[in-house]
Amino acid sequence: MDGLNPVIELEHIHFGYEAGARVLDDLTFSLHEGEKAGLIGYNGSGKTTLLHVIMGLLSPSKGTIRVLGRRIETRKDFREVRRTIGLVFQHADDQLFSPTVLEDVAFGPLNLGKTPKEARRVAMETLERLHLRGFENRITHKLSGGEKKLVSLATVLVMQPKALLLDEPTTGLDEEARVRIASLLAHLDISSIIVSHEYDFLAETAQKIYSIKGGRIEFDGDAGALHAHLHRHPAESHPHRYI
Amino acid sequence: MHISEGILSGPVLVSGIALAAAGTAIGLRKLDVDRIPRAAILSAAFFAASLVHVPIGASSVHLILNGIVGLILGWGAFPVILVALALQAVLFQFGGITTLGVNTVIMAFPAVLSYYVFGPLVRRRPEIALPAAFACGAASVFLGAILVGLALTLTEKNFLKVSAIVAAAHIPVMIIEGIITAFCVAFLKKVQPEILPGNEIDRA
Amino acid sequence: MIQEPFVCGDSQIHRLDPRFRIVVVAAYAFVVALSDRFSVLFLGLAFSFVLIGISRLPLFEVAKRVLLVNGFVLFLWFVVPVTFPGTPLFHLGPLTATGEGLLVSARITIKSNAILLTFIAMIATSRVATLGAALSRMRVPEKIVLLLLMSYRYIFVMETEYHRLARSATVRGFRPSTSIHTYRTYAYLIGMLFVRAQARAERVYMAMLCRGFSGKFHSLQEFSFSRKDGFWAGCTTIALLGLGVLEWMD
Repeated sequence: MDGLNPVIELEHIHFGYEAGARVLDDLTFSLHEGEKAGLIGYNGSGKTTLLHVIMGLLSPSKGTIRVLGRRIETRKDFREVRRTIGLVFQHADDQLFSPTVLEDVAFGPLNLGKTPKEARRVAMETLERLHLRGFENRITHKLSGGEKKLVSLATVLVMQPKALLLDEPTTGLDEEARVRIASLLAHLDISSIIVSHEYDFLAETAQKIYSIKGGRIEFDGDAGALHAHLHRHPAESHPHRYI
Repeated sequence: MHISEGILSGPVLVSGIALAAAGTAIGLRKLDVDRIPRAAILSAAFFAASLVHVPIGASSVHLILNGIVGLILGWGAFPVILVALALQAVLFQFGGITTLGVNTVIMAFPAVLSYYVFGPLVRRRPEIALPAAFACGAASVFLGAILVGLALTLTEKNFLKVSAIVAAAHIPVMIIEGIITAFCVAFLKKVQPEILPGNEIDRA
Repeated sequence: MIQEPFVCGDSQIHRLDPRFRIVVVAAYAFVVALSDRFSVLFLGLAFSFVLIGISRLPLFEVAKRVLLVNGFVLFLWFVVPVTFPGTPLFHLGPLTATGEGLLVSARITIKSNAILLTFIAMIATSRVATLGAALSRMRVPEKIVLLLLMSYRYIFVMETEYHRLARSATVRGFRPSTSIHTYRTYAYLIGMLFVRAQARAERVYMAMLCRGFSGKFHSLQEFSFSRKDGFWAGCTTIALLGLGVLEWMD
């Protein structure tokens, strides 16, 4: 991990919503090339806020953000960020708004400047890669939870991001869909931050686990080692399946 | 397409109130109590949608969307638009009290007309439905602008030129609303065609 | 985010009976809208200033609203004086401004602002829920009151839902411009909003049925017309009658 180029660097980030206390408090974190980082935290701990700050949907009051080594400050910078980093929302319903799957997947490439023909082509390729061939003309609104999640992943992957941010990817998924997504993410070769409160899931999909507490990020350990210490982990104590 | 306070004459204001009351009465009669949650949430959706501003050249415009309100609600457009305008007045202090009736008629009358004229066309195949939807969006705005001009000119003959300017200013908006209505109808046809008018027109 | 900056306050006006406030504002609006004499209009404007003063509202927020409404009025100032026939006053290139046109614009400006300020002081200081209950007590048909209250309830929800969808577009690099792609995107966002609204409405309706909803609107609010309300009613009636006399008697 050390010596590899950092993809996302956050230094001393402060963020608070108007009324309340600081959600992100002097937060420092880096994601390196090839790294898959799991992020655990309670509801309200700032996980989603962090992802939105990276994407420029929220502005930190203090601190520095760097993507691929470049400092990101202005709106123009963040527009570049969105070409480089993909965010998969927690609820696929918030991500999908085109009538058909193909149109939703093609939306990103169109924004990146591809012609309609090219956009369709890369959209179809991405759907193929995710084993979603045949889904092009399906109505996004009518898909099942698992299918929507896959399509929402496709809408982001089609833009060929250098890094992926996933917000609770298992939300609303049944067992079968979870397995499918876990296997997919495990095989994807993109630097990622995977926010989840499911330890099992992170054990399969991430290499290093971090936790967010008190507005800061701490390193908890390598996924493999930590899995064995599940019950003793301070941040998580939900019952888990015995594999 | 709001006319603000202090411009229109008494008779025009009163006519507006009378016509809006009549339209709303009809709309309410066709709206069963169990359909009110749906009308209310759609009213909220239109309200939210009308806050969207869309770029046009160097500036931007707010969408009016009375064409599609009409398609989805029919006569229900009258109470829904009345309520949306009232809420706009209370929450943004934009729009007027004396003009509430007139402004409702300006937006709702074209909406209801759209339901009857374009409603039957919108359920047919895309080659017919989409141009119809474009026409619906554009015509609703156009008719609204005409009604604005009518209200102004009936108040004061010398407002005729002002009316013409207001109408002309709406031409770019007409085109954009036509385009957006067409795509929106295309979307609804694929995703939830039941929301668009179909056979209900015969029952009405 | 839609905000209601005038509702939480505790002035004399905030404590008046909302039914009374609705009636007074309506009467005032019509009197001022239909008057022509500048004496009446200026008095009406002064009346509105007094109300704003008594209501002790944040002037910055009031000013924002005033600016917004006057944007349209400004447009009229450019258009009306040069299109209204009458005695020419001065020339602006090929255009001629008339005295009558300027007077018409002036009247409209005073009326708009006076009614706006009065409306802010008396109506915008009330919660929509309260106004709805007041209207219901004033015999406005139940269906409309229900429609008003439920629409209000869901405006913020719909606004948030729209923003979430719009965020999904932003995050995938969407930049609004004058293009078909932009208009199609907005059309889809709005269409999706309607579809979600419809689905939510069905769920809300079922929830209401499960808790005994039968179409009648019940409010927890109670209204009582107090002596202070009576005093205010008396004063405003006299004031409005005075304006009326000034305007319509010779």
